[in-house]
Amino acid sequence: MIDSGIIEQLKHIVGRENILTSHEDMVAYSFDATNTWSHLPDVVVLPSATAQVSEVLELASREKIPVTPRGGGTNVSGGSIAIHGGIVLCTTRMDRIIDINKTNLNATVEPGVILQDFQEALARQGLFFPPDPQSFAGCTMGGVVAENSGGPSCLKYGVTKQYILGLEVVLADGRILKLGGLTPKNRTGYELMMLFAGSEGTLGIITRISLRLLPAPQAEQTIVAVFSDVAVAGQTVTDIIASSVLPSKAEFIDNWTFEKFRGLLPDAVLDSSQVILLIQVDGLRETVAAETQHVVTLCREKAAGVRVAQDKAEADRYWQARRSHFSDISSRAHTIVNEDVSVPRDKIAEFIHLSQDSARRYDVPISFAGHVGDGNFHPVVLTDNRDKDHYARALKCVDDIIGIALDLGGVLSGEHGIGLEKQRFLKRAMDPQALEVMKQIKDVLDPLHILNPGKIWEEDGK
Amino acid sequence: VKADTDFSQIEKFKADLDRCTKCGFCMSVCPVYREERIESAVARGKIMLIRSLLEGDVTLTDEMARQLNKCTLCLTCAQNCPASTQVPTVITAARAEKAARRGISFPYNFIYRWLLPRRRLFGYIVRLASWFQGIFLPRTEGTVRHLSFFLSALGKGRHIPQIAPKFLRQSVPEINLPTSGVPTRFTVGYFTGCMTDFVFPELGKKIISFLTKNGVAVIVPRAQGCCGAPVFLGSGDFVTGRRFADVNVRAFHDVDYIITDCATCASAMKDYAKYLADNSERQRDYQEFGVRIKDITEFLVDILKLPSSAYHIADEFRRKTVTWHDPCHLCRYLGVKEQPRQILKSLPDIKYVEMSGADRCCGMAGTFSINFYDTSRRIADRKVADIIAAQADVVVTGCPGCEIQLIDGLARHGSKVQVRHIMELFE
Repeated sequence: MIDSGIIEQLKHIVGRENILTSHEDMVAYSFDATNTWSHLPDVVVLPSATAQVSEVLELASREKIPVTPRGGGTNVSGGSIAIHGGIVLCTTRMDRIIDINKTNLNATVEPGVILQDFQEALARQGLFFPPDPQSFAGCTMGGVVAENSGGPSCLKYGVTKQYILGLEVVLADGRILKLGGLTPKNRTGYELMMLFAGSEGTLGIITRISLRLLPAPQAEQTIVAVFSDVAVAGQTVTDIIASSVLPSKAEFIDNWTFEKFRGLLPDAVLDSSQVILLIQVDGLRETVAAETQHVVTLCREKAAGVRVAQDKAEADRYWQARRSHFSDISSRAHTIVNEDVSVPRDKIAEFIHLSQDSARRYDVPISFAGHVGDGNFHPVVLTDNRDKDHYARALKCVDDIIGIALDLGGVLSGEHGIGLEKQRFLKRAMDPQALEVMKQIKDVLDPLHILNPGKIWEEDGK
Repeated sequence: VKADTDFSQIEKFKADLDRCTKCGFCMSVCPVYREERIESAVARGKIMLIRSLLEGDVTLTDEMARQLNKCTLCLTCAQNCPASTQVPTVITAARAEKAARRGISFPYNFIYRWLLPRRRLFGYIVRLASWFQGIFLPRTEGTVRHLSFFLSALGKGRHIPQIAPKFLRQSVPEINLPTSGVPTRFTVGYFTGCMTDFVFPELGKKIISFLTKNGVAVIVPRAQGCCGAPVFLGSGDFVTGRRFADVNVRAFHDVDYIITDCATCASAMKDYAKYLADNSERQRDYQEFGVRIKDITEFLVDILKLPSSAYHIADEFRRKTVTWHDPCHLCRYLGVKEQPRQILKSLPDIKYVEMSGADRCCGMAGTFSINFYDTSRRIADRKVADIIAAQADVVVTGCPGCEIQLIDGLARHGSKVQVRHIMELFE
């Protein structure tokens, strides 16, 4: 518990209206988008300026109070759960878009701007920030950087770290660091900014972000292809890319969640198929027309059905169906365990087959969806944590799947990060020397370990 | 008083409570979260609080009640939810659990239980308040006035239109037959709602005259009461709400359709079956009542199928630029979005422009705007900015509650844009 003197000091720093302490508010801040983790913070602090963040951290360092940074709280790794209580430092009230510069193709924002609001502001000026985590309607820019977020568009456009030009970060002791700048090229010293991309709030609090932008593509087209075999679908994506067409998105949905496509595609085709590929191409109108034709031709060779969206409304329905995969699958079981492995593209079919074998062995249902274009999969094991035996088998299956991905040359997490959810696998998935260096960096930047304690690596004694 | 562990109202909508995956899709669209930026303001935070209530981790404290009240029930979250979670339903049920245990606080208990059912007395008290407002508070320009007395609780200094000198139901007969020579096509009951009755009676007269000219017999049942929205949706008082529902169902039992000019009244009355039916007889009666309720524009376009030549623009609106504000209860609850636009676009004597974010909540939401006036006002500020950006002379809508919020918001910004109900455009 934090004593009332500290609460008074926090009120003094950020103002009474920017402090939450009621039990009800603590419950509302005890969770994120994961379904197994929760912990009550003692106080939620909502600063509105960098100087306030600095003062809060100075106080927290002095008093050795854990500080859990939070934005929208939409992560799926447990990263914004205050697992040791203390302060939740929530940046949602630092929500100004400071500048959008069309000539220089850059923008500067505060960490609490919701990604979708940023995207809409850019779209009004014909600009584009590609990373599109599927939490875009709630996640905030600070979290996008701290989680180094990706999404469907990353197949063609890369992940967040490729767009960071400059950061302002407050360290655990309250020091304010200004890193990088506004130019796309900058070779001044170490790329310290990159330490904070994917730091999951363990190294500092990001208070200002400058990002590289792209001109928005003139046109885009969505193609849907239905396949009766997973491996063939994966191979088709490989073939498309090998033929020099790089789609902006290539997504994969298995037949667990075909329901949303009923009425859009013939029942007979859906009933006899295993996977849907959703492919988007973008660029100049002429390019989009030519690439669409190319993709359709390649898909027709092996798919059971191929359809080009006739207008934006139809395309939107397909992408909405893709987005609702997670909630659709969640509605099918009491508990779901959602993984985030990434494997080399040429191992996709093998990965799916081996994972399916494992699910059969442990007798648990499994569903796949994901960003097939870059090999980043979200296998979901459906279980019920009230049924101890079933849940234990589900967790073993998940262990197995992660082992399969790593053995195939893949990684533990493509985009969700480690947080609490994946730390039990970290030792297996990371070079021990690299893990050691990571901890040394943590000691330099946050020697008292007050920032997001308990995240990424397992704590001593566990 | 209900037992602490009996959450039967919430249990009724348990499927919705379970459906939420906390993905956060509600966050960018929630009007309250947009202003407050805290978890308890948004759908997913409220879902977590209600789940915790069922698990015993939180109880129905004053603070919990405050969190539950802090929602406009605009339904935008549900519309954007990938899991189709009907959050406002769960919130309303949770409000009912609170009301069943802790009751409703003064002055609302007095207004809802005692005053609102006494229709005429309620009207007189409202009028009395309107006299006081002129005596004790400065009058503002035009048709807007500051109210005092208990309406100040409803108003908190907001600009509110003057209470009408004569209420609608004192001004029109109970039975209004079609203009002589026009054959009767339908007989409808007109549910006037409190706002039209007490504040905007001229709107009611226009609607009756418009309908009778177009072959519709309009009954204005004297026995009708308040729709009950602030009582059972706003405060979760299902017991009093049920009394209101029974009164209205009886009052309108023998008409083809029940017409409203207030989207909130219409959708609240359609919701009687969902929330208030406590036996099979009421379930049947409320359902049968609900399907006959039509918003006025829905009735004109879908049922009466009037040609555009039937609409004559009143002189004062001729050659004006007009924009439309979608009331939440109209566009999301009743699914009426195209009908008013179809009418407006077909009128040769006005210029119709679509404002950006036309379907975004205005922040009124009845008791919400009393309890959280500051947040309500900030929500309205965004709406006002969109109205001004549309460069319209007139903003029209389909809900007198929204009208009051828009009048207040535009007046605070010194805007000259007029606020009207769509039916006021016609002569």
